[in-house]
Amino acid sequence: MTHFSWAIDGSIVGLYLLATMIAGVAVRKYVGKVEDFLVAGREMNVYLGIASLAATEFGIVTCMYTAQNGYKYGFAGATPGLLNAAAMFLVGYTGFCIKPLRDSGVVTIPELLEKRFGSFVRWLAGVVIVLGGLLNMGVFLRVGGEFLVVTCGLNPGTLEITMTVLLVGVATYTIMGGMLSVLITDFLQFVVMSIGLIAVTILVLVEVGWDRLVGAVTEKIGPGGFNPIINQDLGWDFILFNLFLNTAVVLTWQTCIARVLAAKDTKTGRQVYTRTSFFFVCRFLIPGIWGIAALATLTPAMFAGLSPAMQENSSLYAMPLFLSTLVPVGLMGLLIAAMLAADMSTDSSYMLTWGGVIYNDIMAPFRKGWSEKKGLLWNRFIVAAIGIFLLFFGLWYKLEGDLWTYLTLTGTIYLASISTLLIACCYWKRANNWGGVAAIVISATIPLGFLVLEKVDGATAKAIGPYSSGIAAYLLSGAAMVIGSLLKPRKD
Amino acid sequence: MGEHWFWWLLTAAVVVWYSTVVIYVAFRGLFDIRNMLEHLGRKQRQDQP
Repeated sequence: MTHFSWAIDGSIVGLYLLATMIAGVAVRKYVGKVEDFLVAGREMNVYLGIASLAATEFGIVTCMYTAQNGYKYGFAGATPGLLNAAAMFLVGYTGFCIKPLRDSGVVTIPELLEKRFGSFVRWLAGVVIVLGGLLNMGVFLRVGGEFLVVTCGLNPGTLEITMTVLLVGVATYTIMGGMLSVLITDFLQFVVMSIGLIAVTILVLVEVGWDRLVGAVTEKIGPGGFNPIINQDLGWDFILFNLFLNTAVVLTWQTCIARVLAAKDTKTGRQVYTRTSFFFVCRFLIPGIWGIAALATLTPAMFAGLSPAMQENSSLYAMPLFLSTLVPVGLMGLLIAAMLAADMSTDSSYMLTWGGVIYNDIMAPFRKGWSEKKGLLWNRFIVAAIGIFLLFFGLWYKLEGDLWTYLTLTGTIYLASISTLLIACCYWKRANNWGGVAAIVISATIPLGFLVLEKVDGATAKAIGPYSSGIAAYLLSGAAMVIGSLLKPRKD
Repeated sequence: MGEHWFWWLLTAAVVVWYSTVVIYVAFRGLFDIRNMLEHLGRKQRQDQP
């Protein structure tokens, strides 16, 4: 039985949605050029950047899989958050790659890659970035809707309609105001989301208690619930894979790097990274604690209310089920508003930043001599098209298999190669287009090949494991860059 | 706290850091928004013929 009250909690959510729409649409008048639309005229300062980056990188889908990590692996499940924070702090502090990237004045990473590797590599990089990014975000809407169904007790039949209405609202302000609307609404969403996350976490710690959380992990998971190295499902390969993955995310994930590129100068971009870095510990540990609390309090009988499909993957839905029974009326409205805020900020930024790569890099050969007005029109059309793709792929198409594996797999399609290309572009003079193409092909082939192997020969795929195949993608992508570059004869 | 002091300290740090930062960023972010819109408005007026 959920504690969601339509009169009280519904009013809080409605008020929040109305304020977001007004704020998002109101700034459209400041968008006069493509640069305003894609990188907010490069006028973003540090604190707005922190709010925007944090809001974008925390969606309902993030909350679901990090809570699932807590439920299945205990505190050790938060390890990727620690690695992500360390990578972001070090990259921001040293300026590794992001300094030359922001100094170059480009709008996207492939635009920088063109300077070293040529126009074909720029186009190819754009294609794999969009492929990996869109497939990745394809599952966001459904997972977000399922959270609302379990937490609010919504009729599952209304999931598609509810999320469609939400997406249309997000797409409307993103199409009108581009990055400016994204930044303004992200700010509002960061505040609402953070208040909700902190309030619910304090409630969980008070109501469930630290000793009970630790006791549940000790009893049901064992010492591996506190130490990822000795956890049988995690181990060194999990840590190494997440080290590669999170470093690549910090360097090349489109929504992260868009904040560096929208910053008013390089110093501001680096400060956004260093000062937001600890948020990535919060991003994993806060929902992780909610997941551990679900492990400590839920009984098998309580899962009976879930649909049969949800019961098959009960670890994913344990956290929303737990919250539906714990959070009281009033605070429930704040929680739902917070989660909607998290999801809206993620959706808007993902649509805009991946749309930016389509316009700036994939369409680069076809848009020479276009006016600013025509460029803006095309950017808006692309964002709308991505919204339609999300509806059909993410909402009406049902995903088979494990969510986290799907997300890391689709991300690795481009993360391994583009991070390799970016590092080589910035720091290795011998790097060339042969190495660039080889790295892109290898990086896309290994995760896709592993996916096919899972379907064709599950036993072999299980023996290799997703972490080992992921590590191979990063190492072989780097090797392909070196070998390909050295094989190409020098012009002199 | 006991033997799991690392996770206890990290959880405490997360709650304290996040609670503090959200207030500070909410306050300073408003000024950033105001300055950003002022600069963009000024640029737009300069670009107009």
